[in-house]
Amino acid sequence: MGEVIVITSGKGGVGKTTTVANIGTGLAMMGKKTVVVDTDIGLRNLDVVLGLENRIVYNLVDVINGSCRLKQALIKDKRHPELYLLPSAQTKDKTAVSPEQMIKLTDDLREDFDYILLDCPAGIEQGFKNAIAGADKALVVTTPEVSAIRDADRIIGLLEANDLRDIHLIINRLRPDMIARGDMMSVDDVTEILAVDLIGTLLDDEQIVVATNQGEPLSGKNSQAEEEYRNICRRLMGEEVPFVEIKQKKSVLSRLFKRH
Amino acid sequence: MKTFWHNKRRSAGFARDRMKLLLISERIECSPQMMKMLKSDLVHTVKKYVTIEENKVKIQISQEPPVLMAYIPVITKKDR
Repeated sequence: MGEVIVITSGKGGVGKTTTVANIGTGLAMMGKKTVVVDTDIGLRNLDVVLGLENRIVYNLVDVINGSCRLKQALIKDKRHPELYLLPSAQTKDKTAVSPEQMIKLTDDLREDFDYILLDCPAGIEQGFKNAIAGADKALVVTTPEVSAIRDADRIIGLLEANDLRDIHLIINRLRPDMIARGDMMSVDDVTEILAVDLIGTLLDDEQIVVATNQGEPLSGKNSQAEEEYRNICRRLMGEEVPFVEIKQKKSVLSRLFKRH
Repeated sequence: MKTFWHNKRRSAGFARDRMKLLLISERIECSPQMMKMLKSDLVHTVKKYVTIEENKVKIQISQEPPVLMAYIPVITKKDR
């Protein structure tokens, strides 16, 4: 029986889809049979991040309506034999699916997969309710900004109200230079404010943009962020992986002009 | 001294303090505005009985478990 994990944030643009693509790819690379599900009906985008946009025939709404079988809608990633995508519909809207139908779908997927990752839409409306309905675990993605943190706190409250208490935090787009000079909240600050278990800390990394442009997550030359995505995968699999300290890389100049 | 400099003088410290107040007040369904009113009511009530250092009063609510704490320095005859 597989585990259903929803990746959510409340606020848009903090890196949910990128996180799903990278963690999904990482788990598949580690030999776990993984399916990533785009639950953002009407705003399909997980397919482009994964570079699978040209292979879509059927989608999530087709499966739920019974227009096709589940296996027909799953797209197998040729680069990673254990990775599958269930794309979202582009033409329908979020009311095309109900939470009960999502529970049925995730239960069907549990039979065949080790990990089922659900990419949740932004917001707290129908799409969010659908995405969390069948989940065992939630990963809340935030950035060290006041807007994202406030929304993350709201989401955590809503998850708890829906009896989803296995909640873990991913802090994205950390800038060590800004944290060092006190102009960005640190990992400790954000974790203390939100008071949930931390599972990943990601630097603001150009390599992630490059990999997304190419539609090939985790394809870079082992950048720090890609390494941390792999660490998150291992933590999800139950391994104890220590967190790397977020520190600024010192340039030769700053070493010369070190002030105390 | 270093932590003071880093946390208080720069924007991250302001952000953290604002978020702490805001999220706690949201979670217990009491707006920052109501927190301010609560503070002024408390000050007003205590002032009727004792002399206090009004500008040093602090109101805090801890998150787990939620406890309301008021720090109200009192001025005694000796200080005056």
